[in-house]
Amino acid sequence: MEFAAFADRARAIEETDADLAVVAAVADLFAAADDDLETLARFVQGRAFPAWDDRKLDVGPSLCHEALARAAGPNVTAGDVEDRLADVGEIGAVAASLDLDGQQGLSAFGAGGGDDLTVADVHEAFVAIATATGSGSAGAKEDHLFGLFNRASPAEARFVARLVLGEMRIGVGDGTVRDAIAAAFLADDDRVETGAETEGDDEGAQLTLSELGESADGAGEVEEDVEAVDEDAEAVDEDAAEVFERPSADAVAAVERALQVSNDAGRVATVARDAGRDGLSDVHLEVGRPVGAMLAQAGTITDAVEAWDAVAVETKYDGARVQVHHDPDGDTRLFSRNMEDVTDALPELVEFVADRVDIPVVLDGEALAVDDDGDPLPFQRVLERFRRKHDVARARESVAMELRAFDCLHHDGEDLLDAPFTERQARLEAVLSEGVSESFVTTDADEIGEFEATVLDAGHEGIMLKDPESTYSAGKRGKEWLKRKPDVETLDVVVTGAEWGEGRRANVFGTFEVGVRVPESTNASADASEYATVGKVATGITDAELDALTERLREHVATEDGQTVRFEPAVVFEVGYEEIQASPTYDSGYALRFPRYVAVREDKAPADADSLERVDRLAEN
Amino acid sequence: MFKAIVSADTLKTTLDSVSVLVDECKIHLEEDGLEIRAVDPANVGMVDLSLSADAFESYEADGGLIGVNLSRLEDIAGMADAGQLVSLELDEETRKLHIQIDGLEYTLTLIDPDSIRQEPDIPDLDLAAEVVVEGKDINRAVKAADMVSDHIALGVDGSNETFYIDAEGDADDVHLELDRDDLIDLSAADAHSLFSLDYLKDMDKAIPKDAEVTMELGEEFPVKMHFDIAEGMGHVTFMLAPRIQSN
Repeated sequence: MEFAAFADRARAIEETDADLAVVAAVADLFAAADDDLETLARFVQGRAFPAWDDRKLDVGPSLCHEALARAAGPNVTAGDVEDRLADVGEIGAVAASLDLDGQQGLSAFGAGGGDDLTVADVHEAFVAIATATGSGSAGAKEDHLFGLFNRASPAEARFVARLVLGEMRIGVGDGTVRDAIAAAFLADDDRVETGAETEGDDEGAQLTLSELGESADGAGEVEEDVEAVDEDAEAVDEDAAEVFERPSADAVAAVERALQVSNDAGRVATVARDAGRDGLSDVHLEVGRPVGAMLAQAGTITDAVEAWDAVAVETKYDGARVQVHHDPDGDTRLFSRNMEDVTDALPELVEFVADRVDIPVVLDGEALAVDDDGDPLPFQRVLERFRRKHDVARARESVAMELRAFDCLHHDGEDLLDAPFTERQARLEAVLSEGVSESFVTTDADEIGEFEATVLDAGHEGIMLKDPESTYSAGKRGKEWLKRKPDVETLDVVVTGAEWGEGRRANVFGTFEVGVRVPESTNASADASEYATVGKVATGITDAELDALTERLREHVATEDGQTVRFEPAVVFEVGYEEIQASPTYDSGYALRFPRYVAVREDKAPADADSLERVDRLAEN
Repeated sequence: MFKAIVSADTLKTTLDSVSVLVDECKIHLEEDGLEIRAVDPANVGMVDLSLSADAFESYEADGGLIGVNLSRLEDIAGMADAGQLVSLELDEETRKLHIQIDGLEYTLTLIDPDSIRQEPDIPDLDLAAEVVVEGKDINRAVKAADMVSDHIALGVDGSNETFYIDAEGDADDVHLELDRDDLIDLSAADAHSLFSLDYLKDMDKAIPKDAEVTMELGEEFPVKMHFDIAEGMGHVTFMLAPRIQSN
């Protein structure tokens, strides 16, 4: 597909409000995608590569601004681009407004290669950008980006810029992609045939975008789960619903399952098109390819006892989440909850599993730092090991890490995501006799309370409460897992700004402004500010930490004005506080009382930081 | 089959002419010498290079094609002193290039040529004006323009018989003019085109200061620059697409 055609469709989707119309438009795009389906199924969500893929573009805003400036003509600087960004507020609109057409390609004169950008060209350039490493890689990345912008028309540049920065923002969420795959490729048999005949033909059975966009209403919210789609059915304009065939719940579930185990919308879309439902049911977990971690909500013992017949109780360790992929005939690999490969940093966990397990398994668990007596060490010590790239052997001498596995997702050729917790627990215990997080099932709240006290005494973080009947919802934060922490709370907040220190500390940042995520920030209608400030943190940081933080955050400076700097969201702090007060001082409407720095959450990206919603909830209690 | 011995200087000059535009390239190992054609990812700048077998101390090849990582190869060539000889031999079995500089042996893994960007077509452009200048004059012009702008206009005034460059900055401007006496040769006709200095600076780096550079220009047309390397036994053509002025 020509990239211009994709850009047109993306623009139309962006301007469509109604959820069903968005699904229809994305389905239409997928149906016309031909060889680019795999790439396009990622591009609609602003992903260059599958989530499990180690390749990352790793292009910061400043690099993107430089490349845009270079392509934009005589004497345009990155500063000019940033000024325009401050006015317009969104990089795609800035890119589209620049004069990128002036520089001619050689092909205009019968020389060089082709000049029209295709989706495949863009993907190819992204691969080149992602694989540029080492010294001079920033220059090489910029050259490739410049090349893309140079070849792009303004309409195309809008989406090249957004893709490069991973902010597609056309209102397409996980749920939209899932429903669109089902709608495009898993409709009733006769429709599949029609689709095949009219492939690439926009005059097909499906409704055109403009019709849907005009006739349908709705809030334009990104759908997150199947239920929500069904509930919204009545809200969508009847005309639209009549013409666009809603995918069956069955088809949606088949796609959902395949997405969970593969973590790869591109692959699932391709399998759905080429092999249908049968093909999708053949998509399995692959040992060595991480899946999204199931996440827990904060909750209480009472919540758990009231919600479920019985409660499975475990220790909540103050460690870092790891997913262990072990293949006795191949590798043992470890992945963080962001699906980054952290194998090399934690050799003793690899050895531990490799020595004890002789069947292929995927385990979920926690990597815990322990002292010589096996007692848990604070989370900061975990971070000395986690994701470390250099001096692993030396770090291993000073901090020992242990595995506490608490789930089994794959056991000797069998996927267990759909099996109940108790079944998975039994499999886990069959695989490992040590290094397993102990658990028990009870209906007695007092028993849970006693366990919690013991666990806290032993220096752990709290307890986990799980519904024994629940399946493993990969990548979801569900109600089936609750985490119960003692009352001293911390928040994981994104560092959004800082002020330079004074006097002795003039060369380091002194005070850090921190914010929480504003929900629905993935929605196209959300404005540029995705984080709401909750306070300024200046205490709890040693001089050495301050030096390191300054060095690190310097790379992410977006703008600077006198003493004050703003950062691109990149670093997540764990911040302790005494209470949350309602306050007009910050745009969140709250202020943390006595905020203090605890640590950098190396295992969290800004998207994983705590949300304003959570602050709302905490403030109410 | 490919086996050759070449002076480090010649090898470096050859690689530099290409690496200013691309990171990887295909090298045709023809019976009578090497040929390289490459275009940068933006499709704006292009190089066409040939290096005759006579430029080598010894040369044997039978028309093969290899893909190389240029910066890697440049690093290796950089290990040799100016006068030293570099020996190159292709292992067809392993698709690796064995490079020897005195006692230093380096085995370079080659890149699958199919994975490298397609080689450009070379157009036959009818460019009206032709200027022959010394490499150092181009260098001076580029340096002067770079002080004020990131673009440079190259032109020929047909009636005054001058070659000129213009660079307009936000505040300051640069104008440089060379007449028939300053030039080695001139076929005068009106010509004027604007070019990105990013590219021209890189190309300038690869042009020897003492080279005679033939520059062909047109009205809002690409510029072609030809010059010899390796004492006339190698030849390089650069071609650069213009920026069209919208106002």
